[in-house]
Amino acid sequence: MRGLIVLCALVLVAATAEIVLDGAGGHSPLIPKSPQIAGWLSGIGERLGYRVFLIALLAFTGAYVVMLGLARRISKRWAIVLVGALQLIVFAGPILISTDVFSYIAYARMGVEHALNPYTHGPIAIVHDPVYPYVGKDWKHVATAYGPLYSLLSYPLAPLGLKGAIWGMKLEALLAGCGTLALTWRCARARDINPGGALLAVGANPLWVIYGLGGAHNDLIMTLFMMVAVTLSFAGRDAPATASVLAGALVKATAAALLPFMILSSRKLASVLGALGALVLGALIGYAVFGVHGIDVVAALNRDAAFVSTDSFPTEIAHLVGKPGVFPIDHDLLKGALVLIVAYLLWRTWRGYDWIAASGWTLLAISVTSTWLLPWYTLWSLPLAVIARDRRLLVATLAVQVLFIVHQLAPLLVPVS
Amino acid sequence: MSDAETPVQRDKWDRLPAWLRPRDVELPGTGRRRLVEVTLLLLAGLLLAIATVNDVVKQTHVNHRLIADLRTWRSYTGHDYRNLSTEQDFYGHTTRDVVCGNTTPGAPKERVQLCLRMTGPVIRGRRTAGGGWYLPPKVEDVPASRYGCFGTAKSAQLCGPAARGSESPEGTSPETGQ
Repeated sequence: MRGLIVLCALVLVAATAEIVLDGAGGHSPLIPKSPQIAGWLSGIGERLGYRVFLIALLAFTGAYVVMLGLARRISKRWAIVLVGALQLIVFAGPILISTDVFSYIAYARMGVEHALNPYTHGPIAIVHDPVYPYVGKDWKHVATAYGPLYSLLSYPLAPLGLKGAIWGMKLEALLAGCGTLALTWRCARARDINPGGALLAVGANPLWVIYGLGGAHNDLIMTLFMMVAVTLSFAGRDAPATASVLAGALVKATAAALLPFMILSSRKLASVLGALGALVLGALIGYAVFGVHGIDVVAALNRDAAFVSTDSFPTEIAHLVGKPGVFPIDHDLLKGALVLIVAYLLWRTWRGYDWIAASGWTLLAISVTSTWLLPWYTLWSLPLAVIARDRRLLVATLAVQVLFIVHQLAPLLVPVS
Repeated sequence: MSDAETPVQRDKWDRLPAWLRPRDVELPGTGRRRLVEVTLLLLAGLLLAIATVNDVVKQTHVNHRLIADLRTWRSYTGHDYRNLSTEQDFYGHTTRDVVCGNTTPGAPKERVQLCLRMTGPVIRGRRTAGGGWYLPPKVEDVPASRYGCFGTAKSAQLCGPAARGSESPEGTSPETGQ
């Protein structure tokens, strides 16, 4: 058994290193156009193609699943070393898969270097800025959808220059990810769940490592605030806990999904006051810095809810029933389904169901019913799933992730060249 | 089910009927609700799994067709170029694809491009190139930029400013679709 664990650990490290080293060479459809930030790694690997990437991703996923099954036999120290190694390998490499980080930098540079409001202008407004060529083509005209707290967190990185800002974003994601992992460990221990297993379930997750951290996504900052809230709630500090959820929602609005469950579970005035205090403070700061657009979360959510991605489950189901894609009526049906699910979970929470599990189910339902599903959205529920009292949530979260990975496999089965 | 089992703040919620009162911990129950929930979750999971596999199978068929399209373009032009762009008719749901590539060696879209309109089934690894057009260097494939239409593209009037709508809806090469 020890040999199998070592083998799985080696597969995880090797698959991650393969993707990072091959990706460092650039000129890959999986690596966004980027300034050379991992030059010392280029030349070691070959150009990262879909075939190698998907084989590495499958190997990673297989080893991860086996390791989860053997988690009780893995020492805590080894779990920490392995997870730490995976995070550092990805941190040292190039930006993987997504151009989002360049949008983050563009919005920050708009505010700091060009005195433009990122809530009213898209990156097209800074067409001569060095970051502009790297912004994804779909996002050049789109104003930021992120919360004012995230915008303020990203502003100090803007003056660092393009490469400095990329490293700053990578460091932010690494620290937020490690913070999330540390708090997941702590919360698991508070609930008598194997902390090493919880750490592996999140920190060695293929979508966490390759897509979340690899793309330096701000979702990791959101999950950090979520886990801070859970930790504070476990300590009985209800007001700071709900305030932390609000802070997470001011990074990315999705985090607000935890709030009603947390308040229903505690049923204390302090929870409501904490949330209200954070909301008022956040709204005041957001309004002062960005104007009314900076706090108009509803408009940003409505805009993003209309997007459609090929990987979303509603799109796949539409294809299954012979439709070319989702229609406006489908958006309404999906919203209706989500409302029903949330209402049921709220009722269950009121009657004593684990609020962390209810929050996790809600985040999972949001990602499954969203017509705009990106791989890192499937990470939202993961830290909650590993500490929830309802183990079905973890199984469901991992199943959704596996389906996402399966959906990527067509180029491996019939490669086009 | 006795409410005495639930250590909740009775003073605050006493006025509510028992079934509406909040609880700190759920009652164990008979397992029927859990059974219903698990059944619904399994059905939802099954639907998602079938939809995912169906999509993958469809995508492999599309890739199979694209391979034939690329092979046809190379065979038609005699150029073994790798950087060809493909556009599929996503909106019309036909199997009509357009493959464009340089007519002379150079970076993608840096030379005059020849676009071929592929139709029909894959036969011995190839499809029928029923017509096509040329494009000047460094321009996207829009009707106004096309010239020298031939074959079915000419009869369908797909070239020039007066062309009938675009035959090249928003498409993507499989290597940029991530």
